[in-house]
Formats: sequence, structure tokens, C-alpha cells
Amino acid sequence: MATATQPVEPVPQEKAAAASKSWRFDVFARWPWLKRLVRMRSFQFLLILPNLIFFYFFLLTGSFGTPVGNRNIIIVFVWILWWVVLIAALVPLGSRIWCTMCPLPFFGDWLQRRATILVRPGKSPGTENRFFGLQKRWPKKLSNIWLQNFGFLFLATFSALLVTRPIVTVILFSIMILLAAGMALVYRLRAFCNYVCPISGFLSLYSMTSTIELRSADKDECLKCKSKSCIRGSDKGWACPWNVYMGKLDRNNYCGLCFECVKSCPNDNITLYLRPFATSDVLIKGYDEVWKASIMLVLAFSYSIVLLSPWGRFKDWANVSETHNWAGFGVYAVGQMLLALVIFPSLYYLSIRLAKRFAKADSVSLKELFLGYSYMLVPLGLLAWIAFSIPLIMVNGSYIISVISDPLGWGMDLFGTAEFPWIPFMPEWVPFLQVPVLLIGLYYSLRGLHKVARKFFPDPAQRLQSLVPPTVLLLGVTLVFLRLFIG
Amino acid sequence: MTKKLNYTELLGVLAVLLVLAGLPLMLWHWRTTALPNRYLPGTKIINLTAIAPGGIWTEELVVGYGYWWKHPTRARDINLEQGDHVVLLLHSPDVQHSFSIPDLNIGPVEIHAGHTVEVEFIAERAGEFPFLCIKICGKDHGRLEGRFLVAARQDAVENSAAR
Repeated sequence: MATATQPVEPVPQEKAAAASKSWRFDVFARWPWLKRLVRMRSFQFLLILPNLIFFYFFLLTGSFGTPVGNRNIIIVFVWILWWVVLIAALVPLGSRIWCTMCPLPFFGDWLQRRATILVRPGKSPGTENRFFGLQKRWPKKLSNIWLQNFGFLFLATFSALLVTRPIVTVILFSIMILLAAGMALVYRLRAFCNYVCPISGFLSLYSMTSTIELRSADKDECLKCKSKSCIRGSDKGWACPWNVYMGKLDRNNYCGLCFECVKSCPNDNITLYLRPFATSDVLIKGYDEVWKASIMLVLAFSYSIVLLSPWGRFKDWANVSETHNWAGFGVYAVGQMLLALVIFPSLYYLSIRLAKRFAKADSVSLKELFLGYSYMLVPLGLLAWIAFSIPLIMVNGSYIISVISDPLGWGMDLFGTAEFPWIPFMPEWVPFLQVPVLLIGLYYSLRGLHKVARKFFPDPAQRLQSLVPPTVLLLGVTLVFLRLFIG
Repeated sequence: MTKKLNYTELLGVLAVLLVLAGLPLMLWHWRTTALPNRYLPGTKIINLTAIAPGGIWTEELVVGYGYWWKHPTRARDINLEQGDHVVLLLHSPDVQHSFSIPDLNIGPVEIHAGHTVEVEFIAERAGEFPFLCIKICGKDHGRLEGRFLVAARQDAVENSAAR
């Protein structure tokens, strides 16, 4: 059994797994105070509360402040600051730590638990906690991230509107809060976060690359455990809102880092590990996740064209609320959807068919290879998003300084910076940062691809042959991004 | 749940309720009390927003929630009394405008989108004083005009002189 003060000694199977995986560093064993902090009942509430204040304030500023995007704090803080911090720091370094502090499902949780901090022991279907509401099961057919995929793609189609008009962001967040609350009253646990939230969808995918993971220290201990308090809850912690059983958790994707399992585990067997970037979770388990990877990569490409490229025509097409060019918008929207849902997945499928043919791989099915190799789209996709976000913060970051003094455009000057001018920060350096970031993504994608290939093809020659087509595809994608970033 | 723990929960609920009620109250307080307190007592504060589509000056605040579906009332004539100490808070929800009251030698004052610009004056003379946008701001630029109608008032002239 792992304790907070002793380093975890892995069992033999785990040692073998660890050897094939990579190093892991037990954070809770090294810093027991962190575990004590996480086990406080009020831990998550104390993280959510500041974000609740900020997001609620943003909703007010979006509603009652200026409609000019770059002078309203909701646009500047959410779509410039929050987005960049989320994609470039929180996800790669902290996995789904945003979900720990996200205020959007707070009211749903409150209604469902009738508690903001405390845990309520009792009986509700499948748990040892007392929940309120109808407690229905989420439909099995929708127990995947397809809704999140389509939701994110739909929102992305209207992104030009979303990132420039404060009221559109207000409407989006209000719908999400209401939907999360409504679903919490009807369905068990966090159905909204698990299956509907469009942000959760891409967090789940890219959290695979993260440098932290919450896992059971000893999986055998979990198998012996009778109470299964991590998923069923106890008088110490709520049943896992993400419906995750720690004994089987082997990827970050669907762990929302609420740390309830750390509180409820009777064996003190849950711990937080540090691990190397983008090398541990390489297993894509479903088509929904493959398409998520495709959608995210295509959107990074599409956003780079619409928001950063010198081709104004695409910007005009996307910005339909200003230009009223509905035909152009139709071309943009349909083109983007086709690219994300059909064209790019087809290219990927073709590369996998060729990989199978090149490797003469009869023992591996096309489906296995299609799912397995798709991890290659994850690190490159994340780093392409980070590369896209670099100019976002460097060029538009100075808006943060002015809106912090006048968050509503009402003429306040709280910190004396309300009239701080728009000054791009070293814009000439943007491509020099974007290129290495993208190449790092390519490196980790190739590395991940190779790691998966080792599992499928022990024979090095066969492995190499199978790697050629997907590698060509990765290089092609990277070249397209390079063309966009450096012209 | 023990009595002690119930206090923790109560504290959590109170914190949330405080946030939900407190933030709108803070904004309302700033708008209704703190902002007028910036100026001398009796100052007439007028919000004027220039809207490029339609060429409208309006005294209504053009804010996020009403931007698309609310049609602001055109402020064609704004009534003042002679001697009024006036602070104009000029806004633009769309493009850059340039405000001017030529007969009072006020302006041009640049109004950048999303910014609030202050113009302060005393209505010393009675009469009609047109105000307008003097920068081409769109196809309806020519309609962006209005008037201050300053009514004569004997004691106001004395007050004005005293100030």
C-alpha cells in the first residue's frame, strides 16, 4: 500500500509497465502537504470560487459592457488570456486541471449534491452518496465524445463571431451553465462534462500528452478493494463525477482531476505522478477520439488561415456578421466541416491502408492500426494549437493591460492603464517561436507513432515499412502549417 | 454531517450568494454613485453614443446585450439650461468617430471604438448648438448630428460667472 510519506514501490507488473512506459515521479510521496491540501473537503470549492467570480463578472461585463470585443474583458480574458493559458500551459502541464476549477458545472453539482463543499453519504443508484434529481443513466449510444466533437466544430464555425462579440460569449457560457445544471438534475454524475461540453472534448484528447497523471499507486490494491469508493463514493468523498474506476484508469482522457478519489480511497492508494511530456498515454480507444484529433488539427489549420493569414477573403467569409456574405460563409463552413470530418480522416485512412499494405501486416487489423496510429495526430495537433496561440498573446496581449483598468469600456481607470495603447509584443519573433514549437510537435508525434508501432510490429523492418505512409502524412501536415506560419 | 461541518457548508453557500449578489451591486454602485461623484454636485452627465449604421447619436448606453436587437432612440435635441455644467461621456460601439460642437469651439474629439471620452463644458449662452461627427465613419455619416438646445435662465448666468 502506498502511503503519503513513503515512496511508492511498484509491484512487478507495474515495474514492467513502467519500464516500457517511462519514468514517473510520485508527487504526493515527495510533497505530502500537497496531498493533505487535496484531501481538504473545501479544496475544489476554493479553486472554483475565484473562477466563478471571474466568469460571473465576465458574464456581467459581456452583457452590460461595451459591445466592442477588444475593449470588453470577457473577450480579452477568455479568448486571449484564458485560451492561451489553457492550451499552452494548463493542458500540457496540468492535464485536465482546468476541469478541477471550472465554474461552468458548479451550479449543476450544487443542485445534484445540495452541497457546495461537504459530502453527503447515503444511497443513490450505483453510489454510496445521496444525490438529488432524477438520476437517470446517460444513453449508452451517446456515451462517447461525438456530441463534443460536433459541438466544438459547430462553435468553431462561428468562432469569428464568438471571439469578437461579447454577447455571443455570454450566450454560449449561459447555455453551458444552464445545460450543465439541467443535465445534473436529470442524469447521474457529470453527464454534461463527460459527453456534451465542447471544451471537455479537446481537453480529454490533449490531456493524454500532459506531464501529470492521477493514478492508483498499486492496481492490485484496487482489485482487492471491496468498497470501490473511488467510483462509488463514501462518507469521505463523492462518487467519481466522471464515472472513472481508478483500478482500470490507464489514460488521462476522462479523469477530470476533481481529486474526490484521493479523499475517498480507504487504502490511501491514489497518487499524483509527474511524467514526461507526450510519451505515456498513447492509446486511442475509439473512432470518436480519432475524429476529435482530426477536428482539432483541421481547426488549428483553419483558424491559422482565418485569423492569422494575409488572405483577407477567408476572414471575410468567416466574419459573416459584419460582411453578410452568406455564400462565402457557406463555403467556409461546409469546407471546414468537410475537411475535418471527411477529407483529412480519409487521408489518414489512406495512410493507414498503405501502412498495412507496406508492412504486409496480416496479424494486425485495419481497425487496430487506424485507432492505434491515430495518436500521431495528438502531439502535433496540440503543438499546432500552441503555435497558433503564440501570435494571439504576443500581438493582442496588450489589450489585457487596458481592459484590466476598464473592464466594461465604461470609462473606469482602476489601475491607470485604461488608455494603454495596442502594442504588439515583438511580432517579428512570432515565426521564430512558432516553427520550433511545431517541430517539437512533429517530434513527439513521430515518437508516439514509433512507440505504438513497436506494440504492433516487433519486427523492426516491418515496423519501419508500416511507419512510412503515416510519417509522410505527418510531414505533409507540418509543411502546410509551416507554409502558413512563415509563408 | 456534524454541526461544525454544517458551518463550513454554510460558509460556502454564503460565499457564492455574496458573489452572485455582490458583483452586480458593485457595478450598479459604480454607475449610479461613484461615477457621478467624480464631478461637481449638480453636474449634468450625458452619455452620448455614436452609432455608425443609421448614423445615430443616442443617450442610451449601447451595451453587449442590446447591441443587435435593441434600436436606440435617436438623440436629435438635447435640452440644457443656461449655466448647466455638462459632462459628455462619448462612446462608440463600432468605429472611430470624431465629435465636435463647432459653435462652442469644442472638438474634434476622437472617440475610439469601445473607449469612453469625456468632454466638459458650461452652457454659458442660450441658443441652439449643433453637434456632429466630423470624420467619415460610414455611409450614414451625414446623419450623425444633433443639437443642444440651451434655454435661457437668469440665475444660471450668475452661477456660471461665479464658477
